[in-house]
Amino acid sequence: MSVAETTPSKTSEAPAGTQRKWWEPLTLIFRSGVGTVGLVIIVFWVLVAILAPLIAPYSPLAQDSTAINQPPSAQYLLGTDNMGRDMLSRLIYGSRTILLLAPISVFCSVAVGTFLGLLGGYFGGLIDEVVMRILDAIMAFPTILLYLIIIAALGPSALNVVLAITFVGAPGVARLVRSLTLDIRTRDYIRAAETRGENPFYIMFFEILPNARGPIIIDSMLRVGYAIFSIGTLGFLGLGLPPPTPDWGGMISEARKYIWTSPLGVLWPALAISSLVVALNLFADGLREESTRYQ
Amino acid sequence: MARYILRRLSFMVLTMLIVSIAVFLITEAAPGDVARHILGQFASEAQVELMREQMGLTQPLYVRYFDWLAGNDWRHSRLVDMPLTFVQLEGQQEPQWYAVAEDGTLRQWRMEGGELTEIRVSLDGARERVPFDNWQLDENGEEIFWGVDTAGHVVLWRRGGAAVDTGAAAAGRTMTESSGEQYLPLRRGLLRGDPGISTRTGRPVGPTLVRRLRNSLTLAAIAFAFIMPIALVMGLAAGLREASLLDRSISIFSLVTTSVPEFASGVFLILIFAFWLKVLPGAAIFVSDIAPWQDPKLLVLPVLTLTLVEVGYVTRMARASMIEVVNAPYIRTAFLKGLPYWRIVTKHAIRNALIAPITVIMLHVNWLVGGIVVVESVFGYPGLGMYLLDSALFKDVNAIEAGAMIMVTVAVGTQLIADVIYTFLNPRIRYK
Amino acid sequence: MRQARDIPVLRVENLAISYETRYGDVQAVRDVSFEIQRGDAYSIVGESGCGKSTVAFGIVNFLGRNGKIVDGRILFQGRDLVGRSQEELRKLRGDRIAMVYQDPMQALNPTLRLGDQLSEVLIVHRGMARSEAEDRCVHMLEQVHMPDPANVMQRYPHQISGGQQQRVVIAMALLNDPALLIMDEPTTALDVTVEAAVLDLVAELQTKFDTAIMYISHNLGVVARVSDRVGVMYAGTMVERASVSDIYLHPSHPYTLGLMHCVPKLGMDKSSSYLYPIRGRVPSPKNLPPGCIFEPRCDFARKICQEERPSIREVEPGHWSRCHFAEQVLAGELQPLAHLLPNLEARERSGEASKLVLNVEGARTYYDAPSTKLIGGEKQFVKAVDDVSFSIRKGQTLGIVGESGCGKSTLVKTIIGLEKPTAGTFEFMGVDISTPVSSRDLDLIKNLQMVFQNPDSTLNPSYSVGAQIARPLRRFKTVPRNDVRDEVVRLLNMMRLGENYYDRLPRQLSGGEKQRVGIARAIAGRPELVMCDEPVSALDVSVQAAVLNLLLEVQNEMGTTMAFIAHDLSVVRFFCDTIAVMYLGQIVEIGPAEAIYAPPYHPYTEALLSAVPIPDPRVEQKHIRLMGGVPSALHPPSGCRFHTRCPRRSLLPDGGAICETTVPPWQQVTEEHRIFCHIPLEELYKLEAVITIDVEEESHVG
Repeated sequence: MSVAETTPSKTSEAPAGTQRKWWEPLTLIFRSGVGTVGLVIIVFWVLVAILAPLIAPYSPLAQDSTAINQPPSAQYLLGTDNMGRDMLSRLIYGSRTILLLAPISVFCSVAVGTFLGLLGGYFGGLIDEVVMRILDAIMAFPTILLYLIIIAALGPSALNVVLAITFVGAPGVARLVRSLTLDIRTRDYIRAAETRGENPFYIMFFEILPNARGPIIIDSMLRVGYAIFSIGTLGFLGLGLPPPTPDWGGMISEARKYIWTSPLGVLWPALAISSLVVALNLFADGLREESTRYQ
Repeated sequence: MARYILRRLSFMVLTMLIVSIAVFLITEAAPGDVARHILGQFASEAQVELMREQMGLTQPLYVRYFDWLAGNDWRHSRLVDMPLTFVQLEGQQEPQWYAVAEDGTLRQWRMEGGELTEIRVSLDGARERVPFDNWQLDENGEEIFWGVDTAGHVVLWRRGGAAVDTGAAAAGRTMTESSGEQYLPLRRGLLRGDPGISTRTGRPVGPTLVRRLRNSLTLAAIAFAFIMPIALVMGLAAGLREASLLDRSISIFSLVTTSVPEFASGVFLILIFAFWLKVLPGAAIFVSDIAPWQDPKLLVLPVLTLTLVEVGYVTRMARASMIEVVNAPYIRTAFLKGLPYWRIVTKHAIRNALIAPITVIMLHVNWLVGGIVVVESVFGYPGLGMYLLDSALFKDVNAIEAGAMIMVTVAVGTQLIADVIYTFLNPRIRYK
Repeated sequence: MRQARDIPVLRVENLAISYETRYGDVQAVRDVSFEIQRGDAYSIVGESGCGKSTVAFGIVNFLGRNGKIVDGRILFQGRDLVGRSQEELRKLRGDRIAMVYQDPMQALNPTLRLGDQLSEVLIVHRGMARSEAEDRCVHMLEQVHMPDPANVMQRYPHQISGGQQQRVVIAMALLNDPALLIMDEPTTALDVTVEAAVLDLVAELQTKFDTAIMYISHNLGVVARVSDRVGVMYAGTMVERASVSDIYLHPSHPYTLGLMHCVPKLGMDKSSSYLYPIRGRVPSPKNLPPGCIFEPRCDFARKICQEERPSIREVEPGHWSRCHFAEQVLAGELQPLAHLLPNLEARERSGEASKLVLNVEGARTYYDAPSTKLIGGEKQFVKAVDDVSFSIRKGQTLGIVGESGCGKSTLVKTIIGLEKPTAGTFEFMGVDISTPVSSRDLDLIKNLQMVFQNPDSTLNPSYSVGAQIARPLRRFKTVPRNDVRDEVVRLLNMMRLGENYYDRLPRQLSGGEKQRVGIARAIAGRPELVMCDEPVSALDVSVQAAVLNLLLEVQNEMGTTMAFIAHDLSVVRFFCDTIAVMYLGQIVEIGPAEAIYAPPYHPYTEALLSAVPIPDPRVEQKHIRLMGGVPSALHPPSGCRFHTRCPRRSLLPDGGAICETTVPPWQQVTEEHRIFCHIPLEELYKLEAVITIDVEEESHVG
C-alpha cells in the first residue's frame, strides 16, 4: 500500500526529465482486452463510413421494384427492403449518417456543458445556483420526453437531432465539469493564480480546464455511444432523419412491419447499431479502467 | 427530517410549476398552426380562423396558460350569469358542460335551423328542447345572449345576426356549428384533473391517459421488481471480488446489455422467441383494449427487454460503490477487528455500498421511462409512452402537455423519494 | 523494565515483504528484525514510504491482494504467524493483536452507532451477550476518559470530535485486553493539544494494561515521548535500533544523525544555529544502490559504502546499527561535510528595519453561516478572524501559530485578498489593501505573494515547471520578455534545482522539489511580502530543513518580509522574529520569538508549549492539558474566549468570574510583547518555564 508513493527516480541527474509523448496515454487502451475489441469495431465502422461510396454495391436510394423484401442473394448480399433498396448499401451509408451526427452533437453538448460547469463551479454563489437550478429542471425531464417535445415542436431534421441531443446532454456534462471544478478550485495552484490577480476566465480555461480534461474525454467517449443510441432511438420512433435518408433506427422501424415475412430486414440494422454502441462503451470503459489504474 | 421533506416538497412544487410553463411554452412555440393541422391542407382560411377561435387560440398566451393550468369556467360563468358545471349524465359517453339554472336544472343552448334552442335537462335526466326567447340587451341596444353550447364552449349569440356558414361548419370533426359570434372554450384546468380535449381524437385526454398510465405503470413496476434485486446482487457481488472472473463477467455482461438499444434488443428477442422458437407472442398483439395483466404472456418480452437494458446500469453503479466501500479504511478496521468475512460484508459493507448509488439509481427512473416509450413502441403495447409518441407525431398539444406533466411528476417524485431514503439511511445527514 | 522477559510478545526476524506490480515484484521491506517485550513500547520511526506501515500490516497479514511476506519469521508469543491460515489469524486479530490507525474518522464506520462497533468485538471474539458486551464497552470508554460514555455508545462517529474518535478506537482495541497493540500514526491527524492528551492516555494504558505497544510514527518528538526502544527505518529496512536515549543522544547511523540535525530543536533560532538537510531523495525500492542504501545521501560515505551493503550489527550492548563506520560515528570521529550549509552571508538589517511593511488593525473576517431555517431567521456569522491587530517590519518574519480552526489561514487569505474583510484597517506599505485581489492594481498584487502548504497541489499538474515560474514573470513584467527564460533558470538555480528541471512536469518532482518550485514562483515577481502557509508541514523532516534554509536565503538576499503560518512551534521559533499566538479568531499573545517561549505566558501559550512533542528524551515538560474541545466560532464564548478551557483561571479571585463576562485587557510586557489576559502580569511571571532543557549538554554538531 505504500509502494506507490515512493518516488519514481533516484537522483536528479537521472533522465527523469524525458517528456512523455502526447500519444502515450492512448496506448493505454491496448492494455485492456475488451477496450481493444471495442477499438477494432469502431475503426471498422469508421472505415466503412469513409469508404462508403467505394464499397457500397448500389446507391442507398436506388429502388428495384422487381426485388422487394428479398432475402439475401448473390445480387443483394443482405437482401432488400420494402422498397426494393439494397440493405447492404443502406447499412453502409447509414454508418455515415450516424458517425457524423453523433460526434457533432456530443461536441456541442460537451462545449456547452463544460462552459456552464466551469462557470457554476468556479464562481459559485448565485450564478451557480441559477445555472444549476435550470440544469436540474432539465434533468428532471425524462430524456425521451425532451426528445419527443423538442422534435415534436421543431420537426424532424438532422439539425434538430443535434440540437435535441445537445440540449439533453449538456446538463450532464455541466454537472461533471462542475464537480471537477469544485474539486480543482480548492487546489493551491488556483490560489496561486488568484494571488497573481489572474482573470477569472484565464483561471477557468487555462488553470482548471486542462486538469479536468481526462474525465471529460472519457465522459465524451461514453456520450458518443449514448448519442448513437439516441439517434437510433429517435430514428426508430420516427423522430429522426426524414426518409429516405438511410438511418439505422429508421430502417429497423420500417422493416419491423415486415418482420413476419422477412425477419432479416430488422436483424442487420439492429446488429449494426448494437455493435457500434457496444464497441464505443467497451472502448470508453477500457480507457477509464486503465487510466484510473495508471494514476 | 419533517422540515427537510417539507422543504423538498415545496421545491418540487416549484419545479413542477416551472416545468409546466416550459412544457406549455415549448409546445405552444411549435411551428405550424394547430388548427390548420387538424383541418388539413384543404380547409379554407375562414375555417381555420373559426377553428382557432373555438379552440381558444386567439387568446393571449398567458391567459391560455392559466386556463390550461387552473381552468376558466369560474371566470366565464359570469358571462353566462349562471354557475357552470361539468357532469356526465346517464346515457352519455363523456361528461359535458352545462349551465345550472336557479331551479337546479341544467341548460345548454344550440342553434337549430337558425333558431336558438334551449336544452333543459332536469334532475331526473329528462331532456326537453324549448325555443329560446330570453335575449338580453347590450350597450348598443342589440339583443345578445351568452350561453353554453353542446361542445363545451361559452358562446355569444346575437339575435338575427347568426349567419350560418355551413361550409365552415362541415369541415372539421370537432366543429358542431358556427352560429355564435364569439367562442370561449371551457376548461377545468390541469390542476383539477382536466387536461383538455385531444386534437387527434376529439375526445377528452383524461380517461385515455388514465388507462394508458395504468398499463405503463404495470409494465414499469414488473420490470423494476426484476431489475433491482438482480442488479443489486450482481453489482455488490462483483464489487466484493473486484478483478475476479465473476467481476469481469458481470462487468462485461452489464456493459453489453446496457449498450444495446431497446429497439434492437426488443427486435432480437422477438426474432428469437416469437419468430424462431415460437414460444411467446411477439409484436402488435394488443389489438383489443384488454388490460395487459389479463394475458401475462404478452408481458414477458417487454419486461425482458426493459430488464436487459436497465439492469446493467444499476449493476455498474452498485459495483462501483461496493468497490469504494471495500477499500474504505473502516472496512480495514472491521477486518483488523477480526470479524468474520460475512459479518464484514453484511454489517459493514452492504449498507454503506447501498447509500451512495441510491440517488443515482433513482435518477435512472428517467431512463426507465425512456425505455418504456421505446419498448411500448416495439411491442405495440398500449401504454402512456405510445400515447405520448402518437400525440407528439400528431402535435396533439393537450395530450403532450398532460402526458409530459405526468412523466415529470413521476420523475421528480421518485427523486424526492430517493432523497428521503438517502437521508434516512445516512446518519451523517439524519443527525446533523 | 518488567518481569517475565523470557519470551517476547513479538519477535520479528529478517522480515521481507514484497508487492507484485506491473513492473514485477517490488520489495517494500527487507531484513527487518526487532522484538517487543510485554509492557514495553517499541517505536518504529521513519519518513513516508520507508515501509514502517507495511511492517505493521505484515504482522496482521493485511497486505492486500498483491502483497506477500517473502522471507522471515513473525513470532507472536513464541509462535510463528507466517503461513498460518486466515481463520487462525482472524481469531488473533482484534483479540490478541489490536490496531489503532491514523485517521479515526475514516477508521470508524459512518453508518453504525459507536456502541455497535465497539460491542461486536466482544460478541465475535468472546461470544458475549449484547447487554454484557455493552456494559464492558461503557467501562472501557471510562478507562480512556471518555466523557459521558453511555451516551457515546448511542452516537455516530461524526457526532464526536476527532480526539474523542481516537479514544473510541483505542478503547475498541483494548476491549479484549490484547497482548500486542499496534498504533500506526495514531495522533498524526490531531491537533497538538489533543495529540498530547492522547499520548498521555497511551502512556497510562501501557502501565495499566501491561500491553506490548508497537508505535509507528514519523514524528521524532512523539516517539521520544512514548517509547522505551526505537527502531529507525530507511527505504524499507531498519538502519538502527536502540533505546530512546541512545537513538537521540548517541546515534550511530548517519541517517539517524541526519534526522536529529535537520529538525529545529525548541529554543534554536536562525541567528545562532543552522539546520542540516539531508541531500537527495529516498531511493525507489526497485532501484536501490548496490552498496549501503544510504550511501548516495551520506555525508560520511567512503568507497566501501558504495561496494558493500552493510548488515545490521550490535555496536554496543542493545544498540544495533547498519553502518560500516558505526563506531566512528558514535564516537563523533567522522565529521560531516559542510557543503550544504545555507548561504546567509548577505544579511543586512540596518536602516530599513524599522519601516512598517504591513499594519493590520482591528481585522475582522466573518463568514455567513448557512441558515438552518427555511426562510428568514437571524443571519449568523462564523467569526473566523475577530479583532486582530499586528504589524510586520521590513525584512522581518512574523510567525502565526495556533491549532486548526483558530483563523490563521483566514487571516492570511484576507491580507492577500482572497477573502473579504468584514472590518478593520489593512495597510501595506501605506496603501489600503482591504480590497479583494481582483480590484487591486498589478503593482500591489506583485508585492504580495504566497507560498502554499500542500506540495501536491501547489503546482498545476498540466504545465511544466518552467512555464509556471515564467507566468508571474510575464504577468508582472519583472524582466523583459526575452530574458524570461534566463530569469527562470536563475530562480531554479537559486532553488538548487538546475536548468534541467525547466521542462519537467510536477508529477516528476518529489514533494520537496515541488515546494521549492512553489517558492520560486512566489518570489519570481520580487515581492515585498511573502505569506507562507505551513510551507513545510506536509514534507518529510529531512526535506523540511532544505526548504526552510532556502526561505532563509531568499529573505537574506532579497530582504523579503514574511508571514509564516505554522502549527509546529519549534519551526516557528527557529524561523520567526516575532510570533503571534492565535486562539478562536483572536491573537492572545504576540511578541519577539524568544519572549513567547519563556514566562510570562498567556495560559494558552503555556498549554501549547507543554503539548509540543520534543525530540529529546531529556527535556522536562510541564504537564498542562486543556479540557474539552475548541468551542464553535459561530458562538464564541463571552468575555475571554479561552475561559472555557483555561487551566489558570484559579489564579484570579472567584475562580476567574471576570473571564466569563469581560473581554480581557492587553497587558504590555515589553514594548513589543503583549498578552491578552485578565491575570496580572506579576502572576504570569511567577509561572514556571514549561520546557527545561539541559542546554549545557546540548551537543551542537558542525
